[in-house]
Amino acid sequence: MATVAIPSAKWTWESPYPTVRANDSLDADLQLVERCLGGQEAAWEDLVRVHTRRVYSICYRFTNSDSEAQDLTQDVFLRVFKNLKSFRAGEGLFIVWLTRLTRNLLIDHYRRTRMDRATESIEDQASALEENTAAIARTEGMLAGREASELLQGALQKLSPELRETVILRDLEELEYREIAQTLNVPEGTVKSRLNRGRAELARVLRRQKISI
Amino acid sequence: MTCAEIEILLADYVDGTLRGDERAALESHLPGCPACAQLAADIQAVTAFIERVPQAEPPAELMTRILHYAPTGRRAAAEERSSAAPSWIKRLLGGFTQTVLQPRYVMGMAMTILSFSMLARFAHIEPRQLRPADLDPVKVWQSIDDRSHRIYDRSMKYYDNLKLVIEIQSRLKDWSEQDPGTPGGQPASERRNQK
Repeated sequence: MATVAIPSAKWTWESPYPTVRANDSLDADLQLVERCLGGQEAAWEDLVRVHTRRVYSICYRFTNSDSEAQDLTQDVFLRVFKNLKSFRAGEGLFIVWLTRLTRNLLIDHYRRTRMDRATESIEDQASALEENTAAIARTEGMLAGREASELLQGALQKLSPELRETVILRDLEELEYREIAQTLNVPEGTVKSRLNRGRAELARVLRRQKISI
Repeated sequence: MTCAEIEILLADYVDGTLRGDERAALESHLPGCPACAQLAADIQAVTAFIERVPQAEPPAELMTRILHYAPTGRRAAAEERSSAAPSWIKRLLGGFTQTVLQPRYVMGMAMTILSFSMLARFAHIEPRQLRPADLDPVKVWQSIDDRSHRIYDRSMKYYDNLKLVIEIQSRLKDWSEQDPGTPGGQPASERRNQK
């Protein structure tokens, strides 16, 4: 029995994404970087405070593990501290540079832990039946935010790394297509194509788990 | 318009930023293409679902941990400077200083200096106190010139003396080889000449 209500294909709504990022935040990033390079201790703290949430969130959504996300976030900032001098303001936004750094570390981590995941997937298959029966209870009514977050986390892990990172950067971190294209070093058309495939795949995964989306 | 082109346009359509002819083309395509209509519906449903998902918040101690372990501020800048621009001494001497300044070499040099100073003390060689006047270039040059001439003279004298010693030694040898019965102790070489 299908529990997913498919809405009409025709609709209009206002975009939830800001089309132009505020210039103030860009200037603030550049000023922070300059102060950091000038050796100001407080600037490093500000830089970490402003960007920790975003980096952690990307890592957490990608790995689905709090401890791994924390370790990776720490590694990202270590790299930022070491390589900040290589960031050139004229060559792009700091947020793109930071996201690219995070993404590269995540891909390295993904390749390193590939063998571990292969052995874990057998256990996943065994517990899949339990999940499906438990999911029936979730289909009634609107899911709470936290539960939706857990379900999304599980579904994201079923996507390939390319589709997963694109969905995370656009739908969860709300980066612009241009920024994602620069981060992943692919054309904007490829970003949009991957994003749509990733969203469609997520819908299929959630539907298989009988989640009402 | 093909389905592949529609797929790319769908991202902007969902964002609400697709305008004009492209929007009209997409809206005319969807009713006649079930696959694209299904894709559009899935995309809309998933983006709406993700909107309900709250942001992932890092634990409060993470920032403290990052700042604790990361080389921040002046420390980072100092490390950067030391790694990026070595001092002129390091540049000049290159890897030589790194080798020489290893603990075992330093200890070896210290032991050598100590040994020489002990030998000098036993040999009653008193090191003269260096005065500022000794550092006068003219005086230093004169001293070097004087010492080199002395060393040359000594070596020449030693060579001449060596020749004399060898000659005396050969003469003594000849005498010792002379016939014991010969009166007057005539040398063997002279006897050979007489024959």
